[in-house]
Amino acid sequence: MSAALSARPSVLRLVFRDVAAAAAASFLLLVVLAALFAPWLAPVDPYETDLMSVMTPPGGDYILGTDGQGRDMLSRLLFGLRMTLLMGVAALVVGGVIGVSIGLIAAHWRRLDGVLMRLMDVMLSFPAILFGLALAAIFGPGLVAVVIALSVATVPLMARIARSTALVVMAQDYIEAARATGMGSFRLIRRHLAPNCVAPLLVFATLRLGQVILLGSALSFLGLGAQAPTAELGAMAAQGRTFLFFAPHIAVIPSLAIFGIVLACNVLGDALRDALDPKLRP
Amino acid sequence: MRRLLTALCLVAASLPAAAQTPRNTAVLMREIDADRYDPVRSTARSAGEVIYMMSDTLVSMDWDMQTIRPGLAERWEVSPDGKTYTFHLRGDVTFCDGRPMVADDVVYTIKRWIDPATRSPVAWRAGKVRDIRATDAHTVVYELEEPFSELLAQLTLFFASVVDRNSVERLGANFGVQGFNGTGPYCWESWTPRQDLVLTRHPNYRWGPPIFENRGPAQIERVIWRVIPEATARLAALQTGAADATQYIPNVALDQLRRVPSVTVTTQPNYLWDFYMAFKIDKPFVNDATARRAMAMAINKPALVRAVWFGHAQPAVNIVNPVALDYDAASDALVPGFDPPGAMKLLDEAGWVMGSDGVRVKDGVRASFLTYGINTLENERQSEIMQQALRRIGVEMRIQFFDATVAWGRMATQEFGAVFLSYPYFSAGDALNLYFPSTQRPSPNRMNWNDPQTDAWLAEARSATDPAVRASALANVQRRLAENNVWITTAREQLFVGASNRVTGARAHGLYGVGLYKALDLRVVR
Repeated sequence: MSAALSARPSVLRLVFRDVAAAAAASFLLLVVLAALFAPWLAPVDPYETDLMSVMTPPGGDYILGTDGQGRDMLSRLLFGLRMTLLMGVAALVVGGVIGVSIGLIAAHWRRLDGVLMRLMDVMLSFPAILFGLALAAIFGPGLVAVVIALSVATVPLMARIARSTALVVMAQDYIEAARATGMGSFRLIRRHLAPNCVAPLLVFATLRLGQVILLGSALSFLGLGAQAPTAELGAMAAQGRTFLFFAPHIAVIPSLAIFGIVLACNVLGDALRDALDPKLRP
Repeated sequence: MRRLLTALCLVAASLPAAAQTPRNTAVLMREIDADRYDPVRSTARSAGEVIYMMSDTLVSMDWDMQTIRPGLAERWEVSPDGKTYTFHLRGDVTFCDGRPMVADDVVYTIKRWIDPATRSPVAWRAGKVRDIRATDAHTVVYELEEPFSELLAQLTLFFASVVDRNSVERLGANFGVQGFNGTGPYCWESWTPRQDLVLTRHPNYRWGPPIFENRGPAQIERVIWRVIPEATARLAALQTGAADATQYIPNVALDQLRRVPSVTVTTQPNYLWDFYMAFKIDKPFVNDATARRAMAMAINKPALVRAVWFGHAQPAVNIVNPVALDYDAASDALVPGFDPPGAMKLLDEAGWVMGSDGVRVKDGVRASFLTYGINTLENERQSEIMQQALRRIGVEMRIQFFDATVAWGRMATQEFGAVFLSYPYFSAGDALNLYFPSTQRPSPNRMNWNDPQTDAWLAEARSATDPAVRASALANVQRRLAENNVWITTAREQLFVGASNRVTGARAHGLYGVGLYKALDLRVVR
């Protein structure tokens, strides 16, 4: 198999040699598990309003307190993680698959290169938030609009990275050799081109996940994403901002969660890049 | 390095000065802007609060919200049959452009208001007019087809503000958008929508309502009405002195704000401003009267109001406030109390079967409806609490709120099943005549309430000369609406006006929900 895949064990070891990266990876794993098992971990229904205890501070009956409608912050945080991660991962997968395909096609069929890359330039020039606003105006606000906006923002970046990596790979002798054996274009892309582009794409995807979550939360904060009463970190922070002086925990808790996830993605992405870069290898 | 430090110090020293409002300018804060400032074309409080400062009405309202005081008319007579009102105007009134105001201007204003071509949503407030004419330069005769017991109170509202014909004709549809010309203590200078509306003092003004110590001219040269949508930002601005007064104080902050030494909070006990959710009674699911009753039973209003308004509002029962004229106590008893199991039972019996997704179904119709509203803090919070309460009885309420500039248009459509709104009124007749005549469809009768009996009762009450007849007709309407659960009235708000120590004389008034009315006593002291 390819070099990237056979190098995987040593990459993992390299990443985990870095304490910060190991901590970031563990944190993300914890977040993903918490999100996956939210229905079992949440102490109460995240939509249940307790009008007798509105805006109770953390500690006491409600571990992380309650929000402005008397809903349990811990349960909402767990379900909010779920929604936010789902949004981020969905946008990354959709944008990634389309973007990488475009990048590989552009690298392999050079005649399409100019057209596709100019198209990506056009897409790159769309501010994601503005695009999200336009989508929300057309289809109505909702998670789908946010995922589409984030995917569209991710496609050109992924395409650019896939193309530049693929161009280097295309010049390698083994591609020439594979061609000489009469291998078809699609098989060539699948067997040789794509696997050898994985490393930089993986690094970028990890970094991009953090950015996508941040951007998605921003769109939700503006009221374009998850609609009431859905728990979503950005929307929760938006609801809490009015009570920042009186019950800071309502805005601070989801904001800290976003901060943690984005930071962990960035740290892990950096560590992955260092580990996957042959030039930095000892 | 030293130069840099000096520069930094200079910047730091100049910062507070930069944030300070210029002397003799007051900044008044509000949450939302209005779509326009034409008295006859807007029913928004955010339009009214500025129009009251830019123009005057024939008569004015005292602090008690009942006594009618002179305005542009220094005195008036009513004929014994209650059909003819004669207003004697002051002789010294001028518009902002300097032109003297005469009786013809009043006639033009009222006729424009009730002209069907104007399509004013509040033309009914002028009564059934037979004719309005000027008998001389300072006398207006206002003749009605039938008596209208509330005419004088209605004429205190900003819809009847006297405007300059030349400006209206010159600006056309842009009157109140690009400019304004009234007789008020302040004059229109500029409007940047969703940001600032700037007013300058009307130098010749001498004819303020007698309820103010200062009858004119205003004590402040410039007033800036500034839109600050964020409640937290408004609070911060009030406490730092970046702005001077506001009535849009989040209830959560009231207790704390009252303890801030640099801020004074005044209130107004005679204040009627209610929050409600109205059903469009011909839309799927909400057209079922039993379902509406069940929804009313699902909501714990006292707990809801305590949670959303932090104890600074009263939970409502039926539509009309107990302190309002012609309130009917018996109709309150017809509104069901909080009883979720009873609500479940009612829906079960009516054939609404619980579906697998937790939403009831009957004959293929889901127990689900869409609500519209303006995206204010109270609306957002109360709607989510109600949404959850309804979910518990198997009803799905979908919420879609809009910015105030687009919300009014969306709320005039037939797209929704219910609407969240709040409104001011001064009597049962005022509230019921606004919303429930069939002629008021589709807006403000957003319920599509079309009941000949209601129309007959309302007509009877409007033209009644005997207060007992009027009260009984209005009581019938209140009972009918309570039985049908057309509204879920949630809260009766109170008025609080907060002012920084840069100004004095910011007393809460509250006519049509407007906190500062003409603000003639407002003065910058620092």
